[in-house]
Amino acid sequence: MAATAIRTEGLTKRYGDVTALDHLDLEVAPGEVVGYLGPNGAGKTTTIRLLLGLISPTEGRGEIFGLDCQRQPVEAHRRLAFVAGEANLWPSLTGAETLQLLGRVQGRVDEAYRDELVARFDLDPAKKVRAYSKGNRQKVILIAALMTRADLLVLDEPTSGLDPLMEQAFRGSVREARDRGQTVFLSSHIMSEVEALCDRVGILRQGKLVELGTLAEMRHLSALTVEATFDGPVPDLTGVPGVSSVQAEGRVVRCQVRGSVAPLLKVLAAADVTELLSREPSLEELFLAQYGDNGQGQDEQGRPGQGEAHAAR
Amino acid sequence: MLHAENIAWSPGRTRRPPGSVIAALTARKAVRSGVIWGYIFGVSIASSAISYTRFYRTTAQRDALAAAYGTDRATGALFGPAPQLQTVAGFTVFKISMTLMLIGAVWGLLTSTRLLRGEEDNGRWELLLAGQTTRRGAAIQALGGLGAGVVTLWILTGLITVVAGLDSHVGIAAGPALYFALAMVATAVMFLAVGALTSQLAASRRQAATYAAWFLGVSYAVRLVADAGLGLHGLIWASPLGWVEELRPLTAPQPLTLVPIAALTAVLLAVAVHLAGVRDVGVGIVTDQASSRPHLRLLGGPAGLAVRLGRPAVTSWWVAIAVSGLLFGLIARSAGGTISGTSAQQVLSKLGSRGNGTDAVLGVCFLILAVLVAFAGAGQITAARAEESDGRLDHLLTRPVSRSRWLGGRLLMTVVVLLASGVLAGCFAWAGAASQHAGVSLPALAEAGVNLVPPAITIAGVGTLALGVWPRSTSIVLYALLAWSLLVVIIGGIGATSHWVLDTSVFHQMASSPAVPPHWEADGVMVAIGVVSALIGGIAFKRRDLQGA
Repeated sequence: MAATAIRTEGLTKRYGDVTALDHLDLEVAPGEVVGYLGPNGAGKTTTIRLLLGLISPTEGRGEIFGLDCQRQPVEAHRRLAFVAGEANLWPSLTGAETLQLLGRVQGRVDEAYRDELVARFDLDPAKKVRAYSKGNRQKVILIAALMTRADLLVLDEPTSGLDPLMEQAFRGSVREARDRGQTVFLSSHIMSEVEALCDRVGILRQGKLVELGTLAEMRHLSALTVEATFDGPVPDLTGVPGVSSVQAEGRVVRCQVRGSVAPLLKVLAAADVTELLSREPSLEELFLAQYGDNGQGQDEQGRPGQGEAHAAR
Repeated sequence: MLHAENIAWSPGRTRRPPGSVIAALTARKAVRSGVIWGYIFGVSIASSAISYTRFYRTTAQRDALAAAYGTDRATGALFGPAPQLQTVAGFTVFKISMTLMLIGAVWGLLTSTRLLRGEEDNGRWELLLAGQTTRRGAAIQALGGLGAGVVTLWILTGLITVVAGLDSHVGIAAGPALYFALAMVATAVMFLAVGALTSQLAASRRQAATYAAWFLGVSYAVRLVADAGLGLHGLIWASPLGWVEELRPLTAPQPLTLVPIAALTAVLLAVAVHLAGVRDVGVGIVTDQASSRPHLRLLGGPAGLAVRLGRPAVTSWWVAIAVSGLLFGLIARSAGGTISGTSAQQVLSKLGSRGNGTDAVLGVCFLILAVLVAFAGAGQITAARAEESDGRLDHLLTRPVSRSRWLGGRLLMTVVVLLASGVLAGCFAWAGAASQHAGVSLPALAEAGVNLVPPAITIAGVGTLALGVWPRSTSIVLYALLAWSLLVVIIGGIGATSHWVLDTSVFHQMASSPAVPPHWEADGVMVAIGVVSALIGGIAFKRRDLQGA
């Protein structure tokens, strides 16, 4: 049986009184694409730097393909490729020279794929790093990671600075990696990116992993958004079992439903409903719901999100 | 968690006119540095003056000192002319002024390139330019802030000198004391302006500092030749360091010499401000090739990369060491001829330099070369730290490269740089001396060159220890140890100083070869200290978290 790609047990990092990561237990299976979400300072980069052995845990341990991140970093690094959010490269080297260096240091490069990636990301490899824009520097480290065909891709905000076209190229490259059986650990702020690419998603909050599962699982546990338009009088939905966050605007009512929708449908059936929309929450809404206690997570206007919608007339 | 409403925001700062924000920001950093170095300058001057009154109490002792150094070409070339050595004032100028002039010049060029070009390299300059200012206005503001640092340096140096002058045995009046302090700060002012100009010319801070350092090196070399008693004293006016020397503080003041100093500073600053207004942010006037064909040599691993990236700086150091060695060799015979058999030779022996006149002079000259070699080694360690603090090391250490392999490669390169520097120093000094038929052998000078390496290894080793244990203090530890060692050996070399203090200087532990044979045992101890320090630093580096700037 293949070793787990990433495994952490009680992984903790404290800086004085501040707990950057709090007893993280995580397992990522080989071939899986896992998204890792959290606001700034939630502990995403700390997790990645612990997994890479760049910093040491205060407690707990982490493994990459069964190799201890702290005691066997070189062996672990042979199996992975890393993309940092900040592309701090050597300004005097050209893009081609940087790719040569990083490829030689990694020890393996699929040269045909490298050339394909250079074309796909529209990178001019003859330019010096100091002449590159932020986005182009980011392309260099993306190509440097992807060209190794490493078993595990650890990506920390990999698309910061990329334009939408390059973002699409990136998504295509990750899908290719997944199809080849590579594992991807993707830390990102871009919800649509994570939603489009990831099999499972973990959400960090103040150093703690508060959610981990497939989107379907997370949606199942979350409220369904229902929007009903009435031709006649608007019924009072407050007090209907499972219904919350009722908002009425004229003849339109929006609410959240947890659990069975039968009680709500019974009430609606007795009224003159002309249009009924229901949809699962988007990843963004799931994410914001985790941070709703400070107001950031509320969709105050009750606008429909970007998620899948089902309409009935 | 600290919330914004709990922070005691200063209303004064928010009321500050937008046009002075950059000046205040730059001044804050420059003044802090000015306070530290002003204190060091002042204490150095005061200790020189007071030590003279203690160790040269009688007229006979002072006459002997004047006879030894007053006409000595070698010490004149290295430290400047030595008039009025029978007085506290004359001795103080001779003993400390050249050292402070050089330290002031280095302070000036490093401070201005750091606070001008360095801020631009880090991207902070763009943030400031996005405020209510222009590129030219921002440069003027930053120079104003740097000016505050220089004024601080002068005031503190002057105050401590004035206080020392109040001692009845020292007896230096306030006016001359402040003028002396002004002379000592003059090189800082000029090279601050040089750094401001090179910050506009170069494409990076490192390049800007290298250009300015080259200007300093040439200035020193020209002044050295002018003061070497070769009949070329007129050359003194071709060197900014020579102008400062011609201010002749405390002995025969020539305030009019401030005119070329002020003129050069004004011209350099005016050109720097003009260029800041016309060039694009992030690029230099000296155009850097944006594209090139790939050169894939030395890109096979971290060690090769270190060699490739360090090549320009190392080459600069090697050229500086080779040229200095050649110059020292050229003047050694003529300078040595003036002291052979005189009391000057006895005084040089206080610096550890014995043997015939030529050897004794070379012994002192090799002290300067030892400082250059140590700087070359220190630069390797600071470059290693920069790789980590700038985040580039992450790209290597997240691949199959162990920390030991990376640091080991860096240290190996440091040792190679140091050995080659020592051999170069010896060989070029021999070439200069041989051209003058000075009668010194190549093996003797090559050995003297290798003798320069152990102090540099100690400093690099301690720097590695700092890299492992206090990474953010690596540069401070390295250059403080280097500056301290130099200061102690210069102050202690002429006036008697406690051996406890002298023993803390790595340059004092080094034998003054070729005047005396190398002390291999002491060298072995220095190398052992360096190696053990580096090992401890390496172990600490392996265990600690990587740390940014």
